[in-house]
Amino acid sequence: MRKSEWSDEELVELLKQMPKIKDYRHPRDIYQNLSRKKRKTVSWILPGIAAAAALFLFFILAPKFMDTNHYSINNAKQESTKEAKIAKDNSDASGMANQESQADKYSTLKKAEGQNDYAGKTAVYDDEIKGGVVLTYWVPDNQAQNLVPVSTIVKNTEGKDWLTLYNEHMANLNESEWGLSEFYPLQATLHYDNANETVIVDVPSDHPYRQGTATEQIFLGALKNDISSNSSVKTIKFTTNGEPGIELSNDFYEKLTITDVKKHAYLFYYPNGSDVPFLVPTLESYKDIKAAIDAMKSGIEEYQLQRSLLPNLAIQDVSANDNTLTITFAKDASLEDERLAVWSMEAILLTAKEFGFEKVVVSNPPAANIGPFDLTKEIKVPAAPNLRTIEK
Amino acid sequence: MDSVFDELYQKYHHDVFQFLFYMVRNREQAEDLVQEVYIRVFKSYNRFEGKSSEKTWLFSIARNVAIDYFRKQKGWKERILEKFDWSSNQVKDDHPIPEEMAVQREEIKWVYKCLEYCTVDQKAVVILRFIHDLSIVETAEALGWTESKVKTTQHRSLKVLKKHMETFYRREEGNIEKVRVER
Repeated sequence: MRKSEWSDEELVELLKQMPKIKDYRHPRDIYQNLSRKKRKTVSWILPGIAAAAALFLFFILAPKFMDTNHYSINNAKQESTKEAKIAKDNSDASGMANQESQADKYSTLKKAEGQNDYAGKTAVYDDEIKGGVVLTYWVPDNQAQNLVPVSTIVKNTEGKDWLTLYNEHMANLNESEWGLSEFYPLQATLHYDNANETVIVDVPSDHPYRQGTATEQIFLGALKNDISSNSSVKTIKFTTNGEPGIELSNDFYEKLTITDVKKHAYLFYYPNGSDVPFLVPTLESYKDIKAAIDAMKSGIEEYQLQRSLLPNLAIQDVSANDNTLTITFAKDASLEDERLAVWSMEAILLTAKEFGFEKVVVSNPPAANIGPFDLTKEIKVPAAPNLRTIEK
Repeated sequence: MDSVFDELYQKYHHDVFQFLFYMVRNREQAEDLVQEVYIRVFKSYNRFEGKSSEKTWLFSIARNVAIDYFRKQKGWKERILEKFDWSSNQVKDDHPIPEEMAVQREEIKWVYKCLEYCTVDQKAVVILRFIHDLSIVETAEALGWTESKVKTTQHRSLKVLKKHMETFYRREEGNIEKVRVER
């Protein structure tokens, strides 16, 4: 029947010969599939939900990536200061200008170091307070590893209590200028409950301190240290938006008791880009002053803390007598770098204070004085570490 | 099993299936669509008034299902969702020659291929009229058309088929001639 033209009849004949097509499936299967099929018609729901969830997560996470991550910002800053330093080192030819600017930098740093009448000293001494109030704020360092105590003297207190002053001044701290993490002002309001001798810390419901264990530890640590350094209050109560309790990343707190653990050793912490250290207490506490002095001979690398006792100003022996600590330097002790020696002396004084001593006597002074310290007399321990001025 | 389903299956399943198969030219699709026909039938079975025969009623539903399928096939949504629907994301030949065709004579295969060139309406008329042997009246009922519309559509579709049959023929002839020359 192969030919070039087909009549309608022939075509119809061909169509009628088309094979019969059968559904080979069993009728039961078809019947069962009916219900399944109905469900299949909404197949867009799953990808739809997935897309909605992804969008939702994106909106939740995006703002967090953008602002509150201040640690990384600080890291970036460090990086840039490092680069700047390298650049300075490399350009020896045009070194003069650079050196000048470097000198400028140091001088500003020195100014920042505390407008201290006593050159080289970093701590606050009783005779400097002159009727002011010393406030100590514990500020996390750039890596959020150490809490660095920073003290300031507030004059013209007009009889306000410590907590009012503390609240007033925390906004004025220049953490980043000091090479530390921006932490203050706290996203919380603190007030004092006279009757119960309790500090009540109220945070807003969107407070930033629930982001991670580190943040939680820093927040609680700073609060405890701040309150114990500035007052004798032993209890903190937390409220969120007036409701009792605070939710942090790991736990829910209603109350916190401050246990005065002292007996720390002071080590040096150099913020990036600074050659002036902060004197920072170790996390660990020691059983007696001897163990603490021993601990000061070595740094703690993982916390970026450096030794505060110099190899050339070694301490041979310490002995306690009431509230006076007597230290004996090694025979070959010398004062090579007086700046360092002053800070080292302050570290000894602050550590002695941690153990309850009020005065330190040097039994065999290698020189008549170390910087401002007259080694022939007994030296009073400082009132607070790391004096910095804050401007209103 | 549902007695209604049972009855419909016994009487018309293979007819409906065959109709859908020739419409969409794909066994799997036809299998899916025949399910859809049953779903629609169950939804509106109570409304079946007996104005037409059950058979033409089923064909009219099957035709609507096929038309909806063609409409959907073109949609962007369908194409995007296909990417998400991993279960059906297999490599598919859109128009494979089905087994049943492969074993047929050359002319029958041509007719099958030529059907592709008809519009949906033309295809429906050809399938109902000639493959299913429905009368013009029945076809008109199933498609919801007037009888004269069925006639003109039938005429046009036969013309399309003829035209393409001839091109197939000529192509075939050319091949044979080529073989002769090469010899």
